[in-house]
Amino acid sequence: MRVAVLLKQVPDTTAKIGVSGSRVDESAITKWSISPYDEYALESAIALKESGADELVAITFGPQRASKCLTEAAAVGADRLIHIVTDADFMDSCTVQSILSSAIERSECDIVLCGKQAADTNSGSTGPGVASLLGYSCVGSVTEVSMDGGKLSATRLGATGLERIEVSGPCVFTFDKGEVELRRPNVRGIMMAKKKPIESIGIEDLGIEIGSPRASLKSHSSPPEKPPGQRFEGAGSIEIVVGKLRDEANVI
Amino acid sequence: MAYEALDFYDIDSLLTDEERMIRDVVRDWVEERILPNIEDACREGVFPDEWRAEIGEMGILGAPLKGYGCPGLSYTAYGLICQELERGDSGVRSFASVQGSLAMYPIWDFGSEEQKEKYLPGMASGELVGCFGLTEPDYGSNPGDMLTKAEDKGDYFLLNGAKMWITNGTIADLAVVWAKLDGVIRGFIVEKEDEGFTAPEMKGKHSLKASITSELVFQDCKIPKDRILPDVRGLRGPFSCLNNARFGISWGAVGAAQSCFNSAKEYALSRIQFGHPIASFQLVQNKLSWMLREITKGQLLAYHLGKKKDDGTWIPEQISLAKMNNVDMALEIARMSRDIHGANGILDEYPVMRHMANLESVKTYEGTHDIHNLILGRHITGIQSFTREP
Ligand SMILES: Cc1cc2nc3c(=O)[nH]c(=O)nc-3n(C[C@H](O)[C@H](O)[C@H](O)COP(=O)(O)OP(=O)(O)OC[C@H]3O[C@@H](n4cnc5c(N)ncnc54)[C@H](O)[C@@H]3O)c2cc1C
Repeated sequence: MRVAVLLKQVPDTTAKIGVSGSRVDESAITKWSISPYDEYALESAIALKESGADELVAITFGPQRASKCLTEAAAVGADRLIHIVTDADFMDSCTVQSILSSAIERSECDIVLCGKQAADTNSGSTGPGVASLLGYSCVGSVTEVSMDGGKLSATRLGATGLERIEVSGPCVFTFDKGEVELRRPNVRGIMMAKKKPIESIGIEDLGIEIGSPRASLKSHSSPPEKPPGQRFEGAGSIEIVVGKLRDEANVI
Repeated sequence: MAYEALDFYDIDSLLTDEERMIRDVVRDWVEERILPNIEDACREGVFPDEWRAEIGEMGILGAPLKGYGCPGLSYTAYGLICQELERGDSGVRSFASVQGSLAMYPIWDFGSEEQKEKYLPGMASGELVGCFGLTEPDYGSNPGDMLTKAEDKGDYFLLNGAKMWITNGTIADLAVVWAKLDGVIRGFIVEKEDEGFTAPEMKGKHSLKASITSELVFQDCKIPKDRILPDVRGLRGPFSCLNNARFGISWGAVGAAQSCFNSAKEYALSRIQFGHPIASFQLVQNKLSWMLREITKGQLLAYHLGKKKDDGTWIPEQISLAKMNNVDMALEIARMSRDIHGANGILDEYPVMRHMANLESVKTYEGTHDIHNLILGRHITGIQSFTREP
């Protein structure tokens, strides 16, 4: 059994975001990290490897800087690192899914783990999309996956409570934030990761014909400005503030 | 908001990818584990045992040492580790400095094969804690005159004497103790359970409150013959350990200064007096600009010294200069930052007063500020002025 974990590099949730024109200025972002839900997928993927999976392949699709995600994954235990390099600014979800599925197929992984959505786009389409292209089953918003013999089972918070789902055959699991503590890489892991080669490939190496995308970016603008905050001064305004907190904000 | 360390001259671009990754692992750990808990640890005067275990798990102890389970990192990586730990608290950096540079290093450099195999792997993983006993109640800057002595009793050594100001002493599983055997300074490994050995904690510190400081008392302490460090004699033993620790301190001080600078900058931008942020006043800007200038110089000094350590082209006087300069600038920045914070500067809500009090110890240990001046004075003039006797 081979496990693939899909990792997307996104601006760190604590990074300062600058705007130039109507866009987030990516060149000004100083800290990029693995998307938080993907980190849970990675943690679970390492656990699967520890309980007997043959190989853990970490895959990322993104610009040159994204290779850092792979080194980080190697530092905590990924065996093989695949970087599909792109400089594209925007790519529709279907194209991204076909690129990732083709990389998963090439590396012959039958279990795929990824975040339920990426922290930057929040679109949530990658996992299910990849599953449908590969013809794998898909279990969404899981918090844990374990392997017993050849059988995989996952825990997810369903409509009525915690569900334990058992799957047979190839499957994609998308991850929600769980209770598990994420392991931090240690120095030995980092030094080993440094020696691990990253297979850097282009979209053309995957034999994918991108063609004309079915969805394309039509225009781009800033989200509407939030109304400015209100300011009250002096003891005389206490009553107004209390009223607003009670009637408008509903917080007291 | 993510911590953005002051890096005016882009030292970051001079680092390797692994160095940056190691730095970030330690930085994140300090952010998550030290900063939210340090004030409690200081108030209670403890070095929480989880910190020991987690520092061990990160694999950063004895950073530049190779083999025997040690990380084998560059001196620059070791420096970065110290910088990040001390950005949290000098006491946390002290734990790592003592363990790596003062306890593991002498065993690694001067120990027998058996000693290395017995102690180093456990010390690298943090399971065994070490301390370094050089200073005595009556001999600080001049350890050469120490009174602690060892006698060869045939089957064993007998140690008598007392050490003072020993970091990690009470929590240590083993102590590297410097004592005179037939008048010559030698290193001995004393284990926690050895008969006649106690390590009572020293209480009442206003500085390095989250670091354990102890006395080591040897009263007819019997230790097996195989616990002497075979390969070094004289002050060269302890001094070569101090070189490594002092190097780490020159980076650590930068971390403490960066923390004080950030706090001062944020505070100055948000504090309004006379209708304007105090950051808009020229006198305050002058202070911030001075901090930026001194930290940047300190960083370049530490970085270049790291390269020289890696190349093996350094001399001890260069380490003296870096330790002395960087601790001095960090202490001055802590004081200035405290001043910019006004009354708030004395509260534990801000890190500055804690750094300031810590740095007073850092200025004194590992060779006082003036002892480093004397080392440089001797280097410049060829005349030693430590003592009146030639
Ligand atoms: C928190 C803490 C932790 C420590 N941890 C350790 C440890 O783990 N292991 C260890 O062995 N030691 C440790 N020390 C001890 C430290 O190394 C000594 O305090 C230091 O060497 C100075 O010695 P002293 O305090 O006796 O000061 P002194 O040597 O008495 O110096 C007092 C003053 O006199 C000045 N002075 C001394 N001689 C001269 C001279 N010839 N010319 C001009 N000025 C001079 C000094 O610069 C200083 O200003 C620690 C100290 C502290 C505070």
